[in-house]
Amino acid sequence: MNEIEELRLKIDGKLVSINSLESLTSVKAELLGRKGLFANLIDRIKLLSKEEKKIYGQSINALKVYTENRLNEIKIGLEQKQKEMADKASWIDITLPGKAPLVGKIHPITKVISEIIEIFVSLGFSVVEGPEIELDYYNFEALNIPSDHPARDLQDTFYIKEGVVLRTHTSPVEIRVMESQLPPVRIISPGAVYRCDNDISHTPMFHQVEGLMVDKGIRFSDLKGILTIFIHEMFGEDIALRFRPSYFPFTEPSAEVDICCVICGGKGCRVCKDTGWLEILGSGMTNPQVFRNVGYDPEEVTGFAFGLGVERIAMLKYGIDDIRQFYYNDLRFISQF
Amino acid sequence: MKVPLEWLREFVVIDIEPYELADKLTMRGLEIESIEKISPQFKGVVVGRIKQIERVTELDNISLCIIDTGNKDVSVLCGAKNIKKGDKVPIALPGAELPGMPVIEEKTIKGYNSVGMLCSERELGLSDDHSGIFILPDDFTVGKELREEPGLDDIVLDINVTPNRGDCLSIFGIAREVASILNQKAKIPIFELPKDRKGKIEDFISLKVFDLEACPRYVLRMIENVDIVPSPYWMRRRIQRCGMRPINSIVDVTNYVMLELGQPLHAFDYERLKQRRIEVKLAERPITFCTLDGEDRALEKGDLLICDGEGPVAIAGIMGGENSEITNATRIIALESAYFNPLFIRRTARRLGLKSEASLRFEKGIDLENVDFSAQRAIALMHEIAGGVVIDGSLEINDAKKREGIFVSFGKINEVLGTNIDHSTILNALRSIDLHIVREEEKGFVVSVPWFRHDINEYMDIVEEVARIYGYDNIPVTTPRSPVVQFRKNKKNKIVSKVKEFLVSSGFFEVINFAFLSVKDIENFFISDGDERFSYVQILNPISKEYGIMRTFMAPNVIKNIAYNINRGIKNAKLFEIGKVFHPIKNEKLPREDIHLFLALTGKERDYYWKEQYKNFDFFDIKGVVEGIGERFGLNFVFQKTKEPFLEEKYSSDVFLEDVKIGWIGEIKKDVLTLYEIEQKVYGGEVNLMPFIEKAILDFKYRSIPRYPQVVRDFSFFVDESIPASTVIDKIKEMSPLIISVDIFDMFRKEKRSISFRVVFQSFEETLRDETVNEIQEKIIKEITKIDGISLRV
Ligand SMILES: [Zn+2]
Repeated sequence: MNEIEELRLKIDGKLVSINSLESLTSVKAELLGRKGLFANLIDRIKLLSKEEKKIYGQSINALKVYTENRLNEIKIGLEQKQKEMADKASWIDITLPGKAPLVGKIHPITKVISEIIEIFVSLGFSVVEGPEIELDYYNFEALNIPSDHPARDLQDTFYIKEGVVLRTHTSPVEIRVMESQLPPVRIISPGAVYRCDNDISHTPMFHQVEGLMVDKGIRFSDLKGILTIFIHEMFGEDIALRFRPSYFPFTEPSAEVDICCVICGGKGCRVCKDTGWLEILGSGMTNPQVFRNVGYDPEEVTGFAFGLGVERIAMLKYGIDDIRQFYYNDLRFISQF
Repeated sequence: MKVPLEWLREFVVIDIEPYELADKLTMRGLEIESIEKISPQFKGVVVGRIKQIERVTELDNISLCIIDTGNKDVSVLCGAKNIKKGDKVPIALPGAELPGMPVIEEKTIKGYNSVGMLCSERELGLSDDHSGIFILPDDFTVGKELREEPGLDDIVLDINVTPNRGDCLSIFGIAREVASILNQKAKIPIFELPKDRKGKIEDFISLKVFDLEACPRYVLRMIENVDIVPSPYWMRRRIQRCGMRPINSIVDVTNYVMLELGQPLHAFDYERLKQRRIEVKLAERPITFCTLDGEDRALEKGDLLICDGEGPVAIAGIMGGENSEITNATRIIALESAYFNPLFIRRTARRLGLKSEASLRFEKGIDLENVDFSAQRAIALMHEIAGGVVIDGSLEINDAKKREGIFVSFGKINEVLGTNIDHSTILNALRSIDLHIVREEEKGFVVSVPWFRHDINEYMDIVEEVARIYGYDNIPVTTPRSPVVQFRKNKKNKIVSKVKEFLVSSGFFEVINFAFLSVKDIENFFISDGDERFSYVQILNPISKEYGIMRTFMAPNVIKNIAYNINRGIKNAKLFEIGKVFHPIKNEKLPREDIHLFLALTGKERDYYWKEQYKNFDFFDIKGVVEGIGERFGLNFVFQKTKEPFLEEKYSSDVFLEDVKIGWIGEIKKDVLTLYEIEQKVYGGEVNLMPFIEKAILDFKYRSIPRYPQVVRDFSFFVDESIPASTVIDKIKEMSPLIISVDIFDMFRKEKRSISFRVVFQSFEETLRDETVNEIQEKIIKEITKIDGISLRV
């Protein structure tokens, strides 16, 4: 039986030499293949006597099963190892920075205008626009501000030529709209306006949104209603607000709307000049003279108008303290919105 | 308007806290801008009375005063000359603190003991008067701490009076509102003209008003032998707290009465009036006139003047002349109290750029019924503080018309406000601010408006008053009852916001610039005279040259934004701006306003990413964005060679929409960028959005996804540089309607330029057979290679 032991040693030697799936395949062929070791041994068995055949055959067979099992074990081991190697090769450091898509940003002024428009559109207002270079008539006269009116002092106007100015507010759009259609009117009009002023709290160009609602039976209480909805949408349901008498030549009664100071919560601070309130928009019932100027009958219809300062709203909303920031166009500023 | 509460209390009893009052005034439309608390900065100063004054021989100009300080007498050395026995004076006793001075100590000089110090107003921090010791009013109590005397502590409300409320530019006017708030009536000042008057004013002076429209009321009163001295402390204090400067007894009285009652007054030195005449008339021709501030003023025909027998002595309602102003030598005063037409005052004041406290009030309209009352008040006060003898009588021209009553219906008020206020509340509200209800009817009432309210002329003005007094807070909050109004579509607005969305999602940042340019900017872009961008709208009164004209194109401002950001270390930028440009139209008053889009790219997409490297932006990056916008709105732009003077011709092109040039894209010339101190490449593009908006397609129809498969074939040709790739693409597209797209997927240059095209075939009716496609393929090869300069690459 030495011969069988020798064979086993020889086979073990072969098996130990296997270090890859490739060498496994060739060793497997060498041992179990059609021209391999066992094929040879089986050929030799055929030459033996019946007795010998039986004993020898059994031993060879056991050896073959042993070989097959060992080969199988080695194969599983090798496959396992290979899988581990592959895993290692495809490893990534998940803490490396990802590749964020490059998206731009809308200027905060546009952003605030869009928000305002959205709110008023949902209340049934249509968006219209008017020229930025405007006739004195539309910017002043038709709005009840004749050339000798003290209210002209409130607005430092850029002049273009006789009777032509850079509009100082979006209100002339009201006149243009009413001249072009009969009541009812329900419009808002965003856009740039200009005043001859340049310091920490004024820029020569800024933005307003004008609103106008005219129909039979529009009341001051409706003005309060619509603007309350707007302010709650814009600054949150919980914000306190108040309507305060004021003066605009083209509205009467006129009201300034204040919201509770968003900086100090109403306790009083530098921003609200210790009043606890911040002025947010001007409004009022359309002055009957304005209706007469556009050919509406003030006995027939009433209406209200309002004007919002976009920069002011943006400053309060985002806590910006210098209006000029909007116009430096510093990407470190714009990218925050 | 600054309102010291100490003064206001003379007319109305204020029984609420100042902050509460401020809040109530604000809610009445008299917005409080600030509340200033005034309290003396000194400590340990008491009211003393001079019992004795002795010259000290050893010391020059120094007296030794014995002062009664209530519980004991003290001796004080003093150098002032304005004191006399019996005067009440402030004495800072040892240990007293005066603003900006070391603590007061007892001193001995040449053997004389000085227990404390007598103080001037400046030393007490009350004013800048240091001309002598502060002589205290007689009613102050000897021995009392000076700071406890009434009037030293005060609260000054600074009220933002709207231009319609000229009547609130006086303490009395404010008192009227306060009284209405507190359910009181404001008390009119009580005074009497002195009994011992002299002569008749007619014997001293004559008065003529030539233009009653410009000056419907004019009153002259006189007083003689006045002393031009500083006015008493209480008067100076009130004038100062209202923000004006005390001058002398006469001028101070005119200012005091103006502040108190709202009537501007002017005092002439009677003896300097030529021919003893006052004539109110419009200037007939331009003249130069020297006002009392020493400035020469150019007056024009139509300016309202006060003249004496020889010429102007004042610009009516604005400023008096140097030639008749009060001096220390003045003895006789001719006092003017008048109502000047606001339009005349305003026109002249505005043209001269000259505003005074008087013109401010005249141009808003003062109380026509208060003119003579104020003159009498002033004469009485002058007599009180400057002595002298009042000349009897007055000269007066009065052409005041009666104002028409206004009928207002109760229903209308409640209808407009959305309220249900009862009739008596309405009437009481109006009465509380001194409006007179002439007649009350079932449905409404007639109200007569006094002359101090120039802002009330029709029923809506009354509605406003009712709302104001009733309280805006008490008006309900409702939603309009009117049905929804026909919605106006706004394609322009919609497209602009969609273009912005597209650009932001493509990585662009929006900028907004002032719509101004300077002429220099146009020149910097080498734009020539004839170019439309050189015809601009000019601003007559610009902030600066840099903002001198309205922009005619967008490029310069955004290029400046790029420079600004590069200077701050941001070297990669993708910017866009959508805004208006302005072009004058011949024979039209208003210019054309077009909306332009400007795009700018500089640097690269990213500086780095650890996995890969980035190339600098180039022409195709900007072109791709513009193509993308076109595609988004179903439009096809055509790109052609450009001649824009500010572009690198090789790397730029004009943009056409249906044969009309609507803009350009490309590399900005180095020479231009250098002018804006930019050293890196910038690609820009400017497109007029007006034709784009007009043609843009917003409503796409869904096209069903084809049921039959596509067939893709690739072609490679050598294409000579002289033949644009787009020509080949267009040619291929023409070959068959089955071709749905032609793209370029590769291009390289060796000896010749090779371009590879990918052509997609699609039928919507059947599955394409190979033979069909092969046939077209043959045709493409045959036709394209026929073009001179193109051959098939095998
Ligand atoms: Zn605050």
